Amino acid sequence: MRVSALVCAAAIAVAGSAFAQQKQTVKLAFIGPLTGGVSANGIGGRNSADLAVRLRNEDPKAKYRYELVSLDDECKPNTAVQAATKAAADKSIVAGVTHYCSVTAIATVDTYHKFGFPIVVWGAVLPDITYRNKYAEVHRVNGTMINQNDVAAKFMTGQGFRRWVIIHDTTDYGKAHDKYFTEYLGKYGGQVVGRFGVTADQQDFTAELTKAKELKPDVIYFGGLTPIGVRIRSQMERLGMNAVFEGTSGIKSDSYIEGLGNKLAEGSLSFIEGAPWEKLPGGLYFTGKYAQAKYEQGPEAYGPFAFAAANLLMDTIEKVGPDRKRVIAELARVKDKDSIIGKITFDDHGQNVVPLISKYVVQDGKWVIWEDSEYGKGQRKLKH
Amino acid sequence: MGDLGGQRVWQGPAQAEALTRVVDVGLLGQYVANGLMLGVIYAMVAVGFTLFFGVLDVIQFSHGDVLTVGAFTGLATFIAVQAAGIASPWLQLLFVILAASAAMALLGALIAKYLVLPLRSAPPLNILLLTLMLGAALRECVRLFYPQGANPKPFPRLLPQDSLALGSFTLRVDNLMLLAGGVAAIVAVHLVITRTRLGLAIRAVAQDAETARIMGIHFDRVVLLTFALGSALAALAGVMNGLYYNEINFSIGLLLGVIGFSAAVVGGLGNIYGAILGGFLFAALQTIGAVLLPGIFPGLPSAYKDVFAFAVVIGFMAWRPTGLIAERTAERV
Amino acid sequence: MTGFIGIAAIAAFSYFFLHAESQPAVLGLIAAAVVGVPLLGRFGWIERASRSLEANKLGGRIAIAIALAAIVWLFREENFAMLMLASVLFYTVACLGLTVQFGYAGVVNFAGAAFLGVGGYTSAMLAPHLPHVLVLVVGGLLAALVGSILILPILRTRGHYAALITVAFGILFRQFVEVNDALGGPQGLQVKGLDLFGWDLNSPIGELSFYTNYVLVGLALAALAFMLVRRLERSWVGLNLDAVRLDETACAVFGIDVARWKILAFTFGNFFAGVAGAAYAMMTGFVAPNSFTFADSLIMVSIVLLGGVGNAWGVALAAAIMLVLPEKLQALQEYRFLLYAVLVIAILMVRPQGLIPRRARDYFA
Repeated sequence: MRVSALVCAAAIAVAGSAFAQQKQTVKLAFIGPLTGGVSANGIGGRNSADLAVRLRNEDPKAKYRYELVSLDDECKPNTAVQAATKAAADKSIVAGVTHYCSVTAIATVDTYHKFGFPIVVWGAVLPDITYRNKYAEVHRVNGTMINQNDVAAKFMTGQGFRRWVIIHDTTDYGKAHDKYFTEYLGKYGGQVVGRFGVTADQQDFTAELTKAKELKPDVIYFGGLTPIGVRIRSQMERLGMNAVFEGTSGIKSDSYIEGLGNKLAEGSLSFIEGAPWEKLPGGLYFTGKYAQAKYEQGPEAYGPFAFAAANLLMDTIEKVGPDRKRVIAELARVKDKDSIIGKITFDDHGQNVVPLISKYVVQDGKWVIWEDSEYGKGQRKLKH
Repeated sequence: MGDLGGQRVWQGPAQAEALTRVVDVGLLGQYVANGLMLGVIYAMVAVGFTLFFGVLDVIQFSHGDVLTVGAFTGLATFIAVQAAGIASPWLQLLFVILAASAAMALLGALIAKYLVLPLRSAPPLNILLLTLMLGAALRECVRLFYPQGANPKPFPRLLPQDSLALGSFTLRVDNLMLLAGGVAAIVAVHLVITRTRLGLAIRAVAQDAETARIMGIHFDRVVLLTFALGSALAALAGVMNGLYYNEINFSIGLLLGVIGFSAAVVGGLGNIYGAILGGFLFAALQTIGAVLLPGIFPGLPSAYKDVFAFAVVIGFMAWRPTGLIAERTAERV
Repeated sequence: MTGFIGIAAIAAFSYFFLHAESQPAVLGLIAAAVVGVPLLGRFGWIERASRSLEANKLGGRIAIAIALAAIVWLFREENFAMLMLASVLFYTVACLGLTVQFGYAGVVNFAGAAFLGVGGYTSAMLAPHLPHVLVLVVGGLLAALVGSILILPILRTRGHYAALITVAFGILFRQFVEVNDALGGPQGLQVKGLDLFGWDLNSPIGELSFYTNYVLVGLALAALAFMLVRRLERSWVGLNLDAVRLDETACAVFGIDVARWKILAFTFGNFFAGVAGAAYAMMTGFVAPNSFTFADSLIMVSIVLLGGVGNAWGVALAAAIMLVLPEKLQALQEYRFLLYAVLVIAILMVRPQGLIPRRARDYFA
C-alpha cells in the first residue's frame, strides 16, 4: 500500500515536472492582405512573420512557445476592422504584427486603442497612422511616405523632368501621396499640370488618361497600389502615351512586373523607405533563412519589416511576459534596438525613424536599385 | 396645353468650355471609340439576358458570372495551349475562343436543365434569387478554386499590338478587331434568330410556349439551346473583355451582369434590338458621365459616371416602366 | 409543456454551440442538429411544441425571454460571443423590415444593405452632435426618406423591372458613398460609440464585455421591432398588405389603394433598416462603402427567405444561423459566401417556404 502510494507520488511528481517544463504558449496575431490584388505582399509579410516565430521556437533559450494567428484584412477597411476586433477581443492574443495597406491600418488604430492591444505596423506608410493620435498601442517599424516623396521629388526634378500629371487613388493613402508629393515638387521646381483621383478598384482609366495625354506631361506620378498601377500603365500604352511612369512603394512588387510583362514594365520607377535589404546587416541572414524555409511566395518589399516587427514583439514578451499592458510600456522604451532592418528607435508617437530611401527602376523584368542599374549609370535612358 | 416646346440647353460658361474641349475631333474620336468598345460588350451581355427572358420569362442573373467563368476558361486554355507548344497567337486565340464558348454553352445548358427549368412555375422572385445566388456561387468558385483566383490575372495579348496615331486619337488595330468581332457576333446571333429554323423555334417559344409545343417544337431542347447560345456569347464577351483590358479578375461579371441586365431592361426585355440599343445607350451614359460631368462640376471624380448612369436608368424606368421597345404582355387576371 | 422543453433545448444547444471552440465539437453539434431536427419533425415533436407554444403565448414569450437572459448572462464576459449576439439582433431588426416589405406587401428590395448604410452614415455624421436616441430615430427616418426616392419607379413597375430598380439603387448607393469625400470616401468614417443618457456603452461594466451593453440595446430594439411587426401582421393593415401582395388587380377592383399600401410597407421597412444600421454602426465603430455592397443586400434577402418569408421568428432563427455559423466554422471562413449561396439554392429548390413557413392567417384564434 505504501509502496504503491510512493510510486504514485513519484509518477505524479515526474508528470508534474514535465508539465512545469512545458513552455507556456503565447499567441501573436498577424494581419495583412492575404487575398485580393496585393495578396503577394500580404502573404510575403505573413511568411516572414511566420519565419521569425519558427526560428524563435527553435531557440531553446526562449521562455515561451509562440504561435502566429494570421487574419486576412483583404486590404479593405471594414474587413480590417473586423479582423482587428477579432484579434484584439481574444484575450489569449498578446500583440499583433499588423497591416500592409494604409487604408486598413488607419481604420483600425481606434479599435486597437479601444481594446488596449499593442501592435507594430509592418508595411503601411501613411503618416497619420502614428501621427494623427498619440496612442500608446500603435507602433511602426517601417518609414512613412513623407521622406519617400521628398526624395522622389528631388530625384526626378534632378533628372530634368518638369511637367507632372498626378494620378492617385481616392483612399487616404493615395490622397496623402498626392499631398506630400505636390508639396515637395513645388519645393524643387516641378510643375503639376493635372491631377486625377481614381477609385482603388477602378477598371477603366481611358477617360482620365485621354485628358492627361492632352496636357503633355513628362511624368505620370502614380499614388496607389499595384493592381491599378498595372492597369494604368497598360492603358497608357493603349493610348500611345509616352510619359515616364513614376510610382511609390505601392508598386514595388513582383506582381507589378508579372502583370505587365517585361516590355511594358521597363523603365517604371519606385521609391521605398529603408536601405535595400541585400545591403542591410541582417539582410543576407534573412534571405538565407527564408529560402531555406521554402515558402511558395517571396517576401516582397516589406517582408523584412514584418520579420523585424515579429522579432521585436517576441523580444519584448520575453523581457516582460505575455501581458498587454507591460508590452505597451516596454515598447515605448525601444531605443537603438538591433534588427535585420537596422536600429529601431520609436519616437514619442511610436514611429521608427528610417532616414534612408531607396530608388528602384524596372530593368529587364526585375526591380533594380537605381545606382546599380544601367539607367543610373547612364547606359540607358528613361523613355520620355 | 400641348406645348411640347423646344428644349432649353443651359449655356453656362463651364459647359461651353467642356464642349469646345470635346469638339477637338481627335479627342472626340477617342471617347467615341472607348464608348463603342464598352457598348459592344454590354450589348453582348444584354442580348443574352433578353434571349433567356424571351424564352422562359426568367432573368438569369448568373449570366454575368458565366462571363467571368468563360474568361477564366479562356485563360486556362491559353496556359494549356502555351504549354503544349503552340506558339502562333492566331491559333492560340482560336483555341481560347472555341474552348471558352463551348465550355460556357455546356454550363449554360446545365444551368437551364437542372436549376431553371424545374423551377419554371415557382414565383419569379424565387428564380431571381436562385440565379443571383448561383452567380455568387460561380464567382466564389472562381475565387476559391482557380489558383490564386482572388488576385487579378493578366490576360495574354493575343491580338496585334500596332497602333496608328492620328493627332490626339490613337487608332489601335486590336481595338478595331475587337469591335469588329463583337459586332460580327451580335450580327451572327441575329441571323441565327431570324434566318434559321432554330431561331424560328426560339421565337415561337418566346411568343407562346404552349402553342409552340402543340406545333411540335421540342420545348426543353429549344430552351437548352437558347441558354447555350446566350452563354457562348457571354464567354466571347468575357474573352474580349480580357483582351481589351489585358486583365481579368473574379468580380468582372458582377458589374457587367448588372449593367447588361439594366441595358436589356432599358431596351425592353424580350427584344434583341432593344438589348443592343440598351447596351450602347448605357455605354454612352457612362462616357457622357465621365466626360461632361467633370466639365460642369470641376473636380468631380470621373467615378461618378456609374452613379450618373444608374440614376438615369432608375429615372428612365419611372418614365417608361417597360423599356424603350416595350414588351407586349398579357396577364391572366 | 413541450413548447417549454423545446425552448430550453434550443437554449442549451445555443450555449454549447457558442461555447465550442474546437472544430470537431462544432461539427459534431451541427451534425446533431442536422440529423436531429428532421427526426424530431418526423415524430411530430415539432408540431406538438409549436402548438403548445401557440396555446400558451404569454408563457412562451416569458420562456424565450428567460432563455435569452440566461445565454447573455452566461456569456457576459466573452467579447466575441456578445458581438455575434448583438449583430444577430441588429440584423434581425433590419430583416424584419425587409419582411414587411416583401413578406407582407410583396415589394421586392435588393438594396437592404444600402438602407443599413444610410443609417450607419447618419450615425457617423450626427453622433457627435445629437443625443444618440435621436440619432437612431433620425437614421431610420433618413433611410425611409432616401427610400422614398425609389417609390415612383417602384410603383410604376412590376416584377423584374421593380427588382432592377432596387438592384441599381444598391449599387448606386455604394458608388456614391465611395466617391464622395464628404462622407469619408473609400476610407469610411469612424463612428462614436452609443451613449444613452449618460451611459457610455463603449465602457465595460466591471469585467463584463462592453458588447454586452449593445446586446441589451439590441434586445430592446429587437423586442420592439418584433412586437410592432406581429401587431402589424394581425391588424387590418397587415390584411391589406397581404391582399396587395397576393393579387394587385383584384385589390384594385375592390377599391384598395395599392400604391398607398406599397408606399407604407416600403417606408416602414426602410425605417427599421435605418435604425438597425445606425445602432450597428455605433457598435462596430466604423462605416465604409465596402460594408454595404450588393452582396450584403443578398445576405439580408437570403435571411428573410431562409427563415420563411413573412415569419418573424423565422427571421431571427435564420439571422442566427447565417451570422453565427460561418464564424464558428473557421475552416469555412474563406468559403463563407459560397456556403450561403449553396444553402440558399438548396432551400429554394427543396423547401422554398423556408425553415419556418409562415402560418396561414387564423381569424378565429
